[in-house]
Amino acid sequence: MAEKIRVMVVDDHPMWRDGVRADLEASGRVEVVAEAADGGDAIERAREAMPELVLMDLNLPTVPGVEATRRIVEESPHIKVLVLSASAEEPDVLEAVKVGASGYLLKSATAAELVDAVARVRDGEPTFSPSLAALVLGEFRRMSGGAEPGLTARETEVLRLVAKGYTYKEIADQLFLSVKTVQNHVQNILTKLQLSKRYELMRYAIRRGLDRT
Amino acid sequence: MLSLGILAFRWVSLAWMVVLALTAGELRRPVLAVATIAGLVGWTGWLTVARPAPSWPVLIADLALAAGLNLVAGLVMPAGSVGERPYFAAGYPVAAAVTWGAARGVGGGVAAGLALGVSLVAGQLANGIDLAGEPPAVLLDLAGGSLNFVLAGGAVGLVARLLERSAGQLREATEETIRARERAARLAERESLARQIHDSVLQALALVHKRGRELAAGGQVPPGEVAGLAEMAAGQERALRSLILRDPDQEATPAGAASLRAALEELAAAERSLPVTVGATGALWLPAGQVEELVAAARQALDNVVEHAGASRVALFAEEDRGAVVLTVRDDGRGFTYDERRLLAEGKIGLAKSIKGRVEQLGGSMAVTSRPGAGTEVELRVPFLTHRGARLEPPGPPMEDQGG
Repeated sequence: MAEKIRVMVVDDHPMWRDGVRADLEASGRVEVVAEAADGGDAIERAREAMPELVLMDLNLPTVPGVEATRRIVEESPHIKVLVLSASAEEPDVLEAVKVGASGYLLKSATAAELVDAVARVRDGEPTFSPSLAALVLGEFRRMSGGAEPGLTARETEVLRLVAKGYTYKEIADQLFLSVKTVQNHVQNILTKLQLSKRYELMRYAIRRGLDRT
Repeated sequence: MLSLGILAFRWVSLAWMVVLALTAGELRRPVLAVATIAGLVGWTGWLTVARPAPSWPVLIADLALAAGLNLVAGLVMPAGSVGERPYFAAGYPVAAAVTWGAARGVGGGVAAGLALGVSLVAGQLANGIDLAGEPPAVLLDLAGGSLNFVLAGGAVGLVARLLERSAGQLREATEETIRARERAARLAERESLARQIHDSVLQALALVHKRGRELAAGGQVPPGEVAGLAEMAAGQERALRSLILRDPDQEATPAGAASLRAALEELAAAERSLPVTVGATGALWLPAGQVEELVAAARQALDNVVEHAGASRVALFAEEDRGAVVLTVRDDGRGFTYDERRLLAEGKIGLAKSIKGRVEQLGGSMAVTSRPGAGTEVELRVPFLTHRGARLEPPGPPMEDQGG
């Protein structure tokens, strides 16, 4: 039998954590090794419990989910963060992805979808929902012309298809590519997005004169 | 700043002084008298024109002049003629006591009054009056005259402090009233929010609660009922969340504009028979009429999918692309071979034609991509109309501000 995926669940609602734990453990593929009720806790327990994956709520007390995500990924790059969020928080979701989250899932997802997403993210496959893909596309359009790395025509095409609800398999069929290649495109988009965030921070630092110290 | 009342009093005293000096008989030292009057006119004129703040130098100069005036009165009036109220000085010295009281409070007023009282005594001596030889009644009168200065300065000081304090109290009371009003406004807002939550969310919760129990008691649970309850809870979750997250930016919605993304999200939330995802590259602010037409077209396409496509999910995707708004309705259903002429011949074109009509009204076009087994994509492309020529996207997407 394969090793279980070690997961930490971060959410400020105990009932929600219980429900997610039950859903994950019922699958037999996941072991919940830690829980945290706020962002500060999450950063600390990620250090101790060393999960492979963190299920992160964004709306958290003490340290917000985006900041907690940034800190966890910075300290332990091998930990993957999957954001579990409500629909109205999409700008936050985009921020979370920029600072290192590997994907996100709506809280309304079914238990099967959740377990599936956990497994795929652990395996290094970025999970882009249609709405996140659209946001990312809009983000790149707004940035176009700047110093940031832009998207290639193929990457834009892939992103638009994800935004239209196509699965990686359907995209692969339509573009005559392998599913692996589609995944690589998505991974590259994610990397460029995170890179753009670093450029953004650098520009900010330069503007504030922090580069001179 | 010296008060206008005291300035007026100074001028009146000065005028009265001149009148008395001219009419009350001979003066012993006319040159000194004229010089004193000229000096006082100059000083009072400067006070009137410059309106200086009652700083220590100004106050001391004023007091020195007033005290000097009492002394000069003794020098210029005929020997032995100065009573407790030297007419040459008239009321002018009182103005100094009053000014001190107004500027420095009771202490200042009393101190200035005492100094003037002393100068009054000095004036008597200068007038050649031997105070030791005077009867007690005269001495009492003199003490009374001195006391008048002290009382005038002290009383004005008291009144000034009282006025200041009540002005402070008035200001505090006004501020308190304003704070109370703000509190009331916040409370009213919270109440109106609470009402909205009561009206919809609590009602939904109560229904989920009640039906949940009934379903559990009934043993067999029809999946449709449970799905309906879940959907209702989800709808309220969205409503509550948007209520909590309602940010001031949204209040800055350009007049006559609407967000295409928000409208599509509403459309998706209302769809009960299959999951609908919404993606948009931004809020996409368009003239409200255009949003309405686009959403109506999307609704027709969605209805068509539900009825004919046998799809498991639908995606709505809106983007701004090279000066156009592109809205895509995409399903993963059975698909078909899109041949407008054949469909027209078979009389199946009605719906597509209606959608196309709407889009063409907006100066746009419709394209259908479909093949059997691969779902259908309906793409609506309309020019990106801006409202009154201005770009409607609010300045700067919110997420750019949060990262810094």
